[in-house]
Amino acid sequence: MSRLILQSAVSGLLVGGMYGLVALGLALAFGVLKVLNVAHGELLMLGGYAAFFAFTLWGLDPIVSIPLVFVGLSLFGVILYFTLFRHVTRLALGPRIKNSLLLSFGLVLVLQALAVRLFTGDERTISTAYSSDAITIGWLRVPVVRLAGLAVAVVAALLLEWVLTRTRFGLALRATSEDWTRAALTGVNVGWVYLTAFAISAGLAAVAGSLIGLGYSVSPSIGLGWTLKALIVVVLAGLGSMRGIIVAGLFLGLTESLAGVWLGGEYREIAALVLFLVVLSIRPEGFFGSAHA
Amino acid sequence: MLAVDGLEVAYGDLQVVWGISFEVPEDSIVAILGPNGAGKTTTLLALMGLLPVTGGTVTFGGDPLLGLQTHKVVERGVVMVPEERATFASLTVEENLELGAFTRRARSAVDETKSEVYEIFPFLAERPTQRAATLSGGERQMLAIGKALMARPRLLILDEPSLGLAPIVVENTFRVISTIREKGVAVLMVEQHVEKTLDLADHAYILEMGRIVADGPGSRLATDSRVRDAYLGL
Repeated sequence: MSRLILQSAVSGLLVGGMYGLVALGLALAFGVLKVLNVAHGELLMLGGYAAFFAFTLWGLDPIVSIPLVFVGLSLFGVILYFTLFRHVTRLALGPRIKNSLLLSFGLVLVLQALAVRLFTGDERTISTAYSSDAITIGWLRVPVVRLAGLAVAVVAALLLEWVLTRTRFGLALRATSEDWTRAALTGVNVGWVYLTAFAISAGLAAVAGSLIGLGYSVSPSIGLGWTLKALIVVVLAGLGSMRGIIVAGLFLGLTESLAGVWLGGEYREIAALVLFLVVLSIRPEGFFGSAHA
Repeated sequence: MLAVDGLEVAYGDLQVVWGISFEVPEDSIVAILGPNGAGKTTTLLALMGLLPVTGGTVTFGGDPLLGLQTHKVVERGVVMVPEERATFASLTVEENLELGAFTRRARSAVDETKSEVYEIFPFLAERPTQRAATLSGGERQMLAIGKALMARPRLLILDEPSLGLAPIVVENTFRVISTIREKGVAVLMVEQHVEKTLDLADHAYILEMGRIVADGPGSRLATDSRVRDAYLGL
């Protein structure tokens, strides 16, 4: 029994790293633009397909194609920003969030239907030569592709945190996220900050998609599920810290996994949502968030 | 240096500023006074490109200012300290100052400007890593002004710099404003402390219901019976 628990805990942490990575981009867009992009998971799905086709058509290893997928979907993010989200950012805070929800939900439907049309509804997994490799510690099995996913998630979070705290651009991002009017009065080109933050957010979703295509699977309908997980993670962590988001992701993955073992598989999702409700009611600013963020 | 001519500003159908004209000459302190809701803050935000202007022209150093995005206005050297706690609470003192020098023009002289700002506000130099959120109201206002100076303004716009501050801090703020002018920065300010402001300002305009109803040198307005009745309560 304890073997099962430990193995489940490891699987939970590995998938939790993905939750965290997906949540990074969502938190960035929400924190800076105050735009709740529920189509974040669809960007992830597109990233997964991009990595899948780069592998099957050109033989590009998904780890190698990560930077390309990041850039590609960032550019797609630029297009989405100019055509859709830019118009929402002109609104006041309340209507901004509501309209971004409506807009991005529409985008979910469009991108999903488009993906079914272009890629069919089949589930795809990127099967590399090392896909079934695992590190075994005694009887504990850690699949390398999933471990790579967790590693990328941690690196992405540290990198993003470094940008936010150590660069001028990060300073502009933090200022804009606190108060965009004051940021503009300080000389920050707020439109540019919005554009870049949204592009990075889309790129991060795509990186998560690549890793999910490698360690798990992609299909046109996976988006909303991942978005929901990412939303839970953002609520758990709050908007203060990127590292905190990864930690919250791990925590969610672990909770789900252990609930699955102890209570039965059907309780996984329920445990996640109960956790979500409990944190929302006890500490609405999240574990690592500050009240004003 | 700043010339505003026939400025009109409306929030949708609601017009708030009705064709006002005023100017801020080089090295001067100009004040806009008036009751709440007169359109003072609206005027300032419109100058900064944060509100759509429906009529009139604004030039700064001879070049048109209207229609520029806010960060471009700042780049030109027009820097505004908005009302109340205009710092970034989540950032440290040092980060707030660094951010103040965000424009390309200011960045090149950031160290030099910083030592000038530290000279005016020595306490800022002592606690670079303190978060702005934990400063007192007066300190935060000083940081806000220091941050604005980091942008190397040619014209500094202050929206009610003394709002919510203790009397002694208000004194200090007014002293700082006159120091800033001595350093060659023109000041346009909106204030509620009418008497002190008239004492400090070279020229003042009285704004009521979106229209300028009186203007003149501060010393003369201070003796104007209408102004005295309406604002000084003397």
